[in-house]
Amino acid sequence: MHKILLVEDDQQILDMMEILLRKIGYEPVLVPDVLEALDRVRNSPPDLVLLDIMMTPINGWEFLLKVRGEYHMSDLPILLFTASPEAEDKVAQLNDPRTGILQKPVSIPELKAGLERFLPGAPR
Amino acid sequence: MGERIFRFGQRQVSETDLVRWVVILSLTSCCILISAITFLHAIPYINYQLFFIPIIYAAYFYPRQGIYVAAGAGVVYQAVGYFYTYPNPAAMLGVTAEAVFFIITAIIIAYFINKIRSGEALYRTVFEHSQLGIILFTREGFAITETNDKFAAMLNFSPQEILSKKLTGLFFIEREKERFLERIEKFPEVSDFETRLSTSGGEACWVNLSWNRVDELTVSCTAVNINARKLAEKLNNDNMMKYRQLTENSPTSILIVQKEKIIYANPTFTEFSGYRSVEVIGRELTGFIDPGDLHKFSEFIGRWADRRPVTAQAEFRFLRKDSGVRVALLFSSPIIHAGNPATMINLLDISEKLRLEEKIRMDNERRRGIIITVAHELRTPLQPILGYLNLLISDPEGFSIVDETKKILERCLVSVDRERQIINQMLELSVLESGKLQVSLSKFPLEPLVKGLLDTSGYLDKADITVSIPPTIVMTADRERIQNVFDSLMSNAINYSKPPRKIDITYRVGADDGFHHISIQDNGIGIPPESIENIFEPFQLADASKLSRKYDRIGLSLSIAKKVAQMHGGDITVQSMVNSGSTFTLHLPKEVSPDA
Repeated sequence: MHKILLVEDDQQILDMMEILLRKIGYEPVLVPDVLEALDRVRNSPPDLVLLDIMMTPINGWEFLLKVRGEYHMSDLPILLFTASPEAEDKVAQLNDPRTGILQKPVSIPELKAGLERFLPGAPR
Repeated sequence: MGERIFRFGQRQVSETDLVRWVVILSLTSCCILISAITFLHAIPYINYQLFFIPIIYAAYFYPRQGIYVAAGAGVVYQAVGYFYTYPNPAAMLGVTAEAVFFIITAIIIAYFINKIRSGEALYRTVFEHSQLGIILFTREGFAITETNDKFAAMLNFSPQEILSKKLTGLFFIEREKERFLERIEKFPEVSDFETRLSTSGGEACWVNLSWNRVDELTVSCTAVNINARKLAEKLNNDNMMKYRQLTENSPTSILIVQKEKIIYANPTFTEFSGYRSVEVIGRELTGFIDPGDLHKFSEFIGRWADRRPVTAQAEFRFLRKDSGVRVALLFSSPIIHAGNPATMINLLDISEKLRLEEKIRMDNERRRGIIITVAHELRTPLQPILGYLNLLISDPEGFSIVDETKKILERCLVSVDRERQIINQMLELSVLESGKLQVSLSKFPLEPLVKGLLDTSGYLDKADITVSIPPTIVMTADRERIQNVFDSLMSNAINYSKPPRKIDITYRVGADDGFHHISIQDNGIGIPPESIENIFEPFQLADASKLSRKYDRIGLSLSIAKKVAQMHGGDITVQSMVNSGSTFTLHLPKEVSPDA
């Protein structure tokens, strides 16, 4: 079962996504604190990170930079999970095959499709 | 004045000639009669002198014929004299001398008469054929006694009509008449008196009069028609006045620059620059340019030296006297001033315009920022709702959901989806309006795109759709966005019509304006003419109050579609008739440049 690290400071979304991810066959690891999430990524890397953007003290982009730059984890799939309309363009500009985007709000089929793109041979 | 002409076979004889002949013949007859009587009474010595009378008379009127007659008469007299005096040589000599004297007298008279006549004729010719109007008038009473045709024609009268008038009655303006009377009283000779006379039509005719006294009673006067000149002068004056008013009151600054110095500046420029007129004239225009723009400006004026009739324009910052900076659009055009090449410069103060543009840009930027933030804030709370609804619907048994509840949940899902869609459209439009988006161009055949859309969208179930697009048509465009445009137009056509729906998608074949034209025609409710301008505006619906509930749409998709077409350098236009349908036409350039 693929382990998915969800970095998200909105408790409502965190609760819902936990159920949703479990339902479609993934193992969610929920981290509301972005700095703690960085430690988690370093110490026990997940199979994929679902990453909110608007967070403090560092935002999703800075998280992404640190993971890719400082931790040398260029292979770790990271899906930005955001309602911000400008993220799509920015992600396209990154031109990084291991970074994707899921626009909030996301439906189950969209979530599934998004995850399966990075985690082929999905569960079930 | 006309003269009666009599015809004698081939010859034409005027009345005057006829009278003269009769007189000559009568005089001759009298002379012959007197001679005969004196001859019969044997007084032979005085009779021949009598013949001087008809001969001289004839010579006066007909100098040449008079000489012939005199010569003929002389010969006859001599012959007759010889006949009587032969063989007395002294008497014969006397007769000869008399005959010669007789002929010489006739010749002398004819000579002088001829001389006088030709002189008179010359003056007559000058008078009648002169390009000047000439009149004679009396000093007392100003009655016109003589006129040539020219003068009459000048005032559009016949010569007879002029002769029945007084000169004083011809003046157009009373004041000018008084001036004339004053002048003629004081000076015997006046030239270049310009005044207006009345024509027969009652209009004014400008004339230049010169007169001088011929004798105590008569004044001769010439008149030149100067109407054309006066009109031209007036026109010229009007023009000058017009140009002066134009430049002085022009809302744009106008300068004339010659040899790099300003030689004229209108009040708008003094106001624009803050300098007084005297501080401007004679200075170089360069002195008013903001130092930062000097380089660009010297390049610009370098082009003036070409002297080619090229008008140029460019934007420059100007430094005011109070150190304020104004931006002006500068137009220069070569002109001729006082016979030398110069440059006319128009300055359009665009500072205010730029300030407003900047403000609008900032406002738009801020508005876009707000829209983006709002969209973000609206989308985030939708996530749990959408997620949970998805979850419940995907596993009704697991959550012990009965069919009825599932239906309700599905309806909720539809609403959430619609809200998501509206927010997404708002965002897309705001991004499109920012102009920051690039189209990603590719080449693709048009027909499969449209057919593919129809196959997957379910539109075919809702309407009878015909597609006539030649399979050879290949477009260069942003494929995904163009597909969305078609989707919007199709969904619009379906939403604003009732079954039985009929939609025709047609490619206009043979257009040679460099554009693809694809129209989508429906048989729907149409758009009222007063709304047709607005349908591409965000959130505008034709007759929104009535329709929005019934047809349940938020009008953003058309705005987006139009923006996408415009991003490609194309457009979407619409023609519509209420209750019979609308035709939306997508125009896309065949060749799209990447930065379009």
